[in-house]
Amino acid sequence: MRAVWRVAVAAARRRRLQSTVLAVVVMCSTVAIVVALGLLEAASAPFDRTFAEQRGAHVVAAFDRAVVSDDRLVQTVEKQTSEDEPAVEAVAGPFGQAVITVADIGQALPPGPLTVVGRADPGGPVDRVDLWAGRWAGKPGEIVVSRPAEPFFRELLGATVQAEGGPRLTIVGLASSVSRTAEAWVTPDQVQAMSPKITQMLYRFTEADTDDDLQKAMTGMTSGLPGSALLDWQSYLVVKQDVARTASAYLPFLTGFGILGLLVAVLIVGNVVSGAVVAGQRHIGMLKSLGFTPNQVVAAYLTMVLLPGFAGCLVGTVLGGLAAQPLLRLVFQGVGSTIGLGVGVWAYAVTLLGVPAVVVLAALIPASRAHRLSAAQAISAGSAPRPGRGRRVQRLLSGARLPRSVSLGLGLPFARPGRSALTLAAVIIGVATVALASGLFRTMTAYGDTAQRVGHVHTVIHVGRPDQTEPKLDDAGIEALLRSQPGVRYVTADAWIDIHLAGRPGRIMAQFLRGDAETRGDVLVAGRYLSGPGEVVAPSAFLRRFGLEVGDRLTLALGEAHTSATIVGEAMDTSNNLIMVSWPTLTALDPDKRPTQYEVRLAQGMDVEKFNAAVKTAEPGLYPATKSQIDESGVAITTSTSIFTLLLGMVAMLGVFNTVVLSTHERRRDLAVLKSIGMTPRQVTVMMVTSMAALGAFGGLLGVPMGVAAHRVIVLAMLDAVGLTAPAFLLDVWQVAELIVLMPAGVAMATLGAFVPARSAARMTIVDALHTE
Amino acid sequence: MTTEGEVVVRLERLRKHYGETVALDDVSLEIRAGEAVAVMGPSGCGKSTLLNMIAGLDRPTSGSVTVHGEELSTLSETRLALFRRHRIGMVFQFFNLIDDLSALDNVALAAQLTGTSAAHARRRALDLLDELGIADRADLYPAVLSGGERQRVAVARALMNRPAVLLADEPTGALDSHTGEQVMDLLLDLHQLGQTLLLVTHDERLAQRCASRVIAIEDGRVTGERAMEQSA
Repeated sequence: MRAVWRVAVAAARRRRLQSTVLAVVVMCSTVAIVVALGLLEAASAPFDRTFAEQRGAHVVAAFDRAVVSDDRLVQTVEKQTSEDEPAVEAVAGPFGQAVITVADIGQALPPGPLTVVGRADPGGPVDRVDLWAGRWAGKPGEIVVSRPAEPFFRELLGATVQAEGGPRLTIVGLASSVSRTAEAWVTPDQVQAMSPKITQMLYRFTEADTDDDLQKAMTGMTSGLPGSALLDWQSYLVVKQDVARTASAYLPFLTGFGILGLLVAVLIVGNVVSGAVVAGQRHIGMLKSLGFTPNQVVAAYLTMVLLPGFAGCLVGTVLGGLAAQPLLRLVFQGVGSTIGLGVGVWAYAVTLLGVPAVVVLAALIPASRAHRLSAAQAISAGSAPRPGRGRRVQRLLSGARLPRSVSLGLGLPFARPGRSALTLAAVIIGVATVALASGLFRTMTAYGDTAQRVGHVHTVIHVGRPDQTEPKLDDAGIEALLRSQPGVRYVTADAWIDIHLAGRPGRIMAQFLRGDAETRGDVLVAGRYLSGPGEVVAPSAFLRRFGLEVGDRLTLALGEAHTSATIVGEAMDTSNNLIMVSWPTLTALDPDKRPTQYEVRLAQGMDVEKFNAAVKTAEPGLYPATKSQIDESGVAITTSTSIFTLLLGMVAMLGVFNTVVLSTHERRRDLAVLKSIGMTPRQVTVMMVTSMAALGAFGGLLGVPMGVAAHRVIVLAMLDAVGLTAPAFLLDVWQVAELIVLMPAGVAMATLGAFVPARSAARMTIVDALHTE
Repeated sequence: MTTEGEVVVRLERLRKHYGETVALDDVSLEIRAGEAVAVMGPSGCGKSTLLNMIAGLDRPTSGSVTVHGEELSTLSETRLALFRRHRIGMVFQFFNLIDDLSALDNVALAAQLTGTSAAHARRRALDLLDELGIADRADLYPAVLSGGERQRVAVARALMNRPAVLLADEPTGALDSHTGEQVMDLLLDLHQLGQTLLLVTHDERLAQRCASRVIAIEDGRVTGERAMEQSA
């Protein structure tokens, strides 16, 4: 074995360039694979892992303190856990729960109601809260705020918040709970001072796989309590579904890029290895003549390619692990820290075993060809004239009215059809990736513009709440003020109110609209917009959640008041908890309700900030906020798409680079002969680049439709994941002319990949090449 | 175009070192138009290096190489390629044909690189192959041609652009004696037609048959020169 090892190491060293190319391609591919596996893992099962790590609560229950005491709740738990087959696995609580109203502190904590729970520490048998910054509240006057682990939120540490009619609290820690048990935590003593009306209990059950399991467990848990004791309870399955909704939106496109990455890696590795084996045939023959058995030759050869392959894989795995973290944080911004992102050990193991296995498998087929060759045959490979391949094409091209360097280049891919096919496949995937990325970019931009109502709503004027400066003007006065400002085109008054749907549990948010509502930029995928009393427009996700459709009737309940409304339209919106309702419907429920905000569209070219300042000056009780033009999730998707496109494009280019290096190496004699009869360096470069550009052009023709098809499949899956019905403008994002413009991407990729080795071939010393032969 | 007796190749104090190894040392010589010169000497004496310098395939360490009035050491790689294309025809010991091209296309290639149309280049290539007696092999590929046929194709390719000098490096070295004779006849015919020839060989018979002058080289230095009486 020592001889085999020595031969393999020496051969790898001798073929430094090929070994380096192999190592770099394997490294790039490995980075893509590790990142893709990490993303796939993150998009598929992060909640379960974090839920297990934090011992998340299967049920977060809210009890009425006026009906049931803490002692009674504890006794109920003790009774349940002492049974022969307890349904309860673990319990945390009772914790006092209060809702305080905090004022605007101008930082990353919005003003308004805040659900606060009193807990002595973040640990315990259930809901081990992740305290990721600062410390836990140790005394009254201190508060820990629930925020995802993003550096941005650290600015909250040390800030103080004033609870309306309550204490002043200093933020001493930042934490996150996968079970979403609170918006903030204080000490038990502090929460008592806030007059809590609710007692929170956190349960883990032995059987908690389905809603039925949880319902059954909760029925048992509360059987000995007064009927009105349990106010509400939240199932972890609902939270999981909500988290998964975000992640599953990313899953289709991450899976798409992951598959493309793996395919490119396999193609490139196969191309590199088979090329190296072909180029090394004479070497194999020499080994055989020295007495190496065919198996030893194969072993030496596999080791030769495995050495740089494994080195590339190792470096790629480390780099992939490093690259995956920021990418995961970017993609899962806001939820990442809560669901605990990271590349799993299995992903590293699969990569470290799988990639070298692919290298070996790809090498085995050409190596087995060398295995069969006799020593004499193998040694003569390259010195004797080999039968020409692609002769018909070459003959046809030699008579073509093209510069000879171009026609020779066009014929080169036919001399090695197998290698050309692998290179072509890599280019096709590269072009498909570019097309897919451009499509996703357009789709996400169009979606983001719609979500943010870009061009439809420029600023939102919030009405001051009781804890803020309240406006002196009434509703009509505010609307008149806004409409009288210069440059105002449309004003829509909104009232955001929690309501109930009769016959269905839980609350939903209703956005009652008045004024120029039809100009807000809502995109309807079915039905029509609001035009009269008793009308509702519902998002696709809402309709899907409740199994409703356009034409169905709903009974809206606000307090004791009820009114009927018909769903007249389906809006493209991912919210599954929101409906848009015509203003007269609100009047029917509560004639005293007033708008909570006004959405304003300005004339083109108007300065939004100046308008906001003018409004604030005219009525200090109004709080203007410029409408964001950026959709965060869209930015995350387009950013990661760009990174993947860059990576896959680079790997595809390296595939071309490798092919030209191999071709140059194999055609060293031919190139020297061509130069000796007067081919200029520029002509050599043109010939080698043309050989790949031809493949690139073909790759563009096939890759663009492939990318368009992949875009359609992926976008449909993404929209389905977030509960959206696909409107045509998110799918048909290209004009035919734009697709034609995309086709040269293959030529560009091939030309860029081929240029450096082609230039190197042009500079090759003739005498050395001919002497070597 | 050259006229009879004009100096076509002039080497002055030519030196070529490869590291410590001296391949050519202070070589000066002239070759006139229409001459057939054979350079002879033992293996490794510097014969091929001399040929490579004249062909512009390699650059001297010092001294000058002037071919057809052009000082080669001052030319860029592109100008050198154009020089080879228009002024030099090369015939190698191992033929060096492009395996993927037919005999006809191998020959036509040299003209096509200059921008000559494919049809015109092929017509001239076929004429040359006909003159060399292998027109019937024009569509065949190098792999199925005999050694002699391959060398004829190589000679036809070298003559394609009507070179000022035809350089041949051991043109019979890879051929059996009968085929070698045929190639010798071919070179002799070319010389008699006025083609300037420079042969590198250690085959005395080839030199006697084809050369009008023999230059002897040993250890990179010119050690002698003699005129030949050519045998028919």
